[in-house]
Amino acid sequence: MSRPKLELVKLRKEYSDGTVIAVDDIDLAIEAGETVALLGSSGCGKSTTLNMIVGLENPTGGDIQIDGATVVTTPAGKRNVGLVFQDYAVFTHMTVRKNLAFGLEIRGKYVLETNRAVEEVAELLNLSDKLDVSVKELGGSELQRVAIGRTLVTKPEILLLDEPLSNLEAEARLAMRRELRRLQSEIGLTIIYVTHDQVEALSLADRIAVMNCGRILQVEDTSTIFDKPDHTFVAGFLGSPPMNLLRGKFAAESGEVSFQKDSFTLPMGGSGATPAGFYTVGIRPEALSVSSADTPAIIGRINNVEPRGPETVVTVSVGYETLTLVAPPTDVLHTGDPVGLDIDYESLVFFGGDSNRREELAVAGRIF
Amino acid sequence: MVDTQSATVSPVLHMESINKSFRSTKALSGVDFMVPEASLTVILGPAGAGKTTTLRMIAGLEKPEAGRVILGGEDVGQWEPRERNVAMIFDNLALYPNKNGYENIASPLVIMKEKPEHIRERVDTIAKTLQITHVLGRLPKTMSGGEKQRVALGRALIRKPQLFLLDEPLSSLDAKLRIELRAELRRMQRDHGFTFLMATPDYHEALAIADTVIMLNHGKVVQVDKPQVIYDTPADRETAIFVGAPQINLLESVFVADTEELVIESAGVRVAPPEQLAEVVKRKGEGFELGIRPENLILTDVDSAAIKGTLVDIEPLGPKSVATVSVKDAEFRVLIDSKDVAALELGQPIGVEMINVQRMLAFDIATGLRMQS
Repeated sequence: MSRPKLELVKLRKEYSDGTVIAVDDIDLAIEAGETVALLGSSGCGKSTTLNMIVGLENPTGGDIQIDGATVVTTPAGKRNVGLVFQDYAVFTHMTVRKNLAFGLEIRGKYVLETNRAVEEVAELLNLSDKLDVSVKELGGSELQRVAIGRTLVTKPEILLLDEPLSNLEAEARLAMRRELRRLQSEIGLTIIYVTHDQVEALSLADRIAVMNCGRILQVEDTSTIFDKPDHTFVAGFLGSPPMNLLRGKFAAESGEVSFQKDSFTLPMGGSGATPAGFYTVGIRPEALSVSSADTPAIIGRINNVEPRGPETVVTVSVGYETLTLVAPPTDVLHTGDPVGLDIDYESLVFFGGDSNRREELAVAGRIF
Repeated sequence: MVDTQSATVSPVLHMESINKSFRSTKALSGVDFMVPEASLTVILGPAGAGKTTTLRMIAGLEKPEAGRVILGGEDVGQWEPRERNVAMIFDNLALYPNKNGYENIASPLVIMKEKPEHIRERVDTIAKTLQITHVLGRLPKTMSGGEKQRVALGRALIRKPQLFLLDEPLSSLDAKLRIELRAELRRMQRDHGFTFLMATPDYHEALAIADTVIMLNHGKVVQVDKPQVIYDTPADRETAIFVGAPQINLLESVFVADTEELVIESAGVRVAPPEQLAEVVKRKGEGFELGIRPENLILTDVDSAAIKGTLVDIEPLGPKSVATVSVKDAEFRVLIDSKDVAALELGQPIGVEMINVQRMLAFDIATGLRMQS
C-alpha cells in the first residue's frame, strides 16, 4: 500500500496550559491527489489544524508527516505546503503578474523561470489576459484566483484552503467551485479544504471529515457520510434541513414493533423482537413524504411551510415532536392543516441512545 | 410591479416614490412598497442594490430627496431617528463587555426607566424564547458566538417598536447557526405579532422566512411577491439568476415562423414552444432568451435524445447533484439525483430532455424583462 501524502497522527493543540484543547488527538491520512474537507462550525478546531499543517502554529502533541517524514520541526516556508485564506491576501498596488511572481522573486528565482511559471499558472487560472491589469480593477472571484495563483506558482505539493470562497458573492462562488474542481482534475493536487459550509465540502471533496470540539467524528466519502452518519452530531450537521433525530425506545404491541418517544409513535412496519434500551432514530427529511393513504404511518399537523424554489420544506408537529420533510413545491399544504406522512424505511438509521454512535440493528424484519 | 399587498388594514410602513442620490450616484429611484402589520417582509438584493440605504432612511439616518416615508400613518421623512418608533438590528451586534447577559438584554428598558419587576419579567420571557436562560448571569466573553448573537437579538427584541428593521442580522454566523436562528426569528415574529422588515442578499433566507419578498436591484424595486412566485415567475433575468441555485439556464433563441418552432441557436436545438410562451415568442420573433430551471431538465439516453451533448462537469450537493452538459456552444445545467451519478462519466455523450415545460420562461434580451402575454 502506498504511503499517504499527508498524515496527522494524534495531533493535539492545547492553549492556556492545557485548560483549552483546540485540537484533540486527531488522526487523518490523506492520499496524494485527494481532496479532503474539514467541515465544522466556528471554533471546532479546523483552522487550528490547518495552521499546524502549514507551520503557523506548533502542535502540543502528536505528529504531522508528509511523505512519511515528520515536518513538525520544519519551518513553515520549507514544508512545500501552500495556504490560501479567505481574505485573498493580494498586493492591491501591483499588477496580476507582479502578484503572481512575488513568491518566486523573494525566493531569488531567475527571471526567465519566474516568467514561465507565472504564465503557466495564469493560463491554468484563466488569468492570461489579465496579467498586466492592476489588481485594484479585479472583481472578487478574479482576486481569489490571483490569491490561489500566488500559491500555486510556488508549486506546493499540498494546497490548504481556509474558507477560500466565503467572501465571494453567490454567482462567483459557483464559478470558483467549478474552477477548483477543474484544477483538481488537471493538476492532481492534494487539497485540504476548511469550511463551515457543507455545500462547498460536498461539491469539492472526495472525503469529508466532520469536526466538533477539536475531534474528527467521521471521515468518509460524501455519499456515505450523508446516508450513514456514524454519529448523531454528523447526522444533525449534514443536510439542509438535517436529519430528524428522536431519542426513544422500541416497543411491541400485539406483535407490531414501533419506535416510541413520549407521545410520538413510529410504526416499524413489521413484527419481532425489540432491542432494549434507548436509541436515537435518524430520519432524513427526504425519507418522509406527504401520504395519500387512508392510514398513513404518521399523522401530524403542519406548523410551517418554507418554500425553497425547486422544493418546499415542511415542518410537521407529531405529538410534542417535530419532523421536517422535503416536498415538491406545493399550494395544498398550509400551516395548521392535519397531514399524513409516509416513510421510506430503507433510509432510517439508528444511534445508541447514550453513545450517540450509529449501531446496526435488526428490527421488524429489516436490517438498519 | 405586482401588488400583492392590497391589505385591508393600513400598513405600518409605506415608502412612497423615494429617490436618493449620493453625489452623482443614484442610490434609490422611485422606491415604493408597503409593509403590512405583523408581517415579515424581506428586501432581497445583491450588494449595492440599495437595501441598507432603504433601511437607514426608514430609521431616519438618511433623508429622502423625493417621496414620503409614511410610518404609522404619518410622514416621518424629516423626523429625527429618536422620534421614530423603530428599532434597527445590525449584523454586527456589539454587546456591553462588562455587563452580563441579563444586563445586556435589559439595558434598553433600564434606559427607558421601566419598573424593575417589569424588566425582569420581559427579560425572562425573551431569554426563554431565545433559549439563552443559562447565559443570563455570564459575561459576553464566556459565551459562544451563537449565544452572543442571541443575547444581542434579545436586547433588540425587548423593545416594542412599531417596526423592526433588520440589516443582514445573520450574515456573520456560520451556516448551521444561521438556519437555526432564522427559524427562531420567524417564530418570534409570528408569536409576538412583530412587524419585521429585513434586508438580505441571501435568497435562501428570503424564500424561507418571508411573507412577502421585495426584490431590489440597482436602487429600484423590481418585484414584490410571495417567495414561491418570485422563484417561479421572476420579473426579469437578473432576478431569475439571483434567485435559485444551481443557476437558471438562459439560452438565446429565435422563433421560426415557417415551422412554428423555437430554435436555441447556440445549441442547434429545436423545440416546440410551450403553451404559455407560444404567443409572446411568436410576436417577438428574436432577441429573447429561454429560461429553464435545472430541475426542469433531465438526462436521457443520447441516441433517442433531441438534445445531444457531452457531460463536462458534475457537482455533488448532497442528495442532489448538478450535471453540466455541453451542447455545441451552449451549456445546460441539469439537476439530478446523486444516486444516479455513479453511472455517469465525465466526457461521455449524453442526452438532455426538457420536462415541466409549463415552467419555461422567456426574457427579452434588450430590456431584461420576462415576456408575458
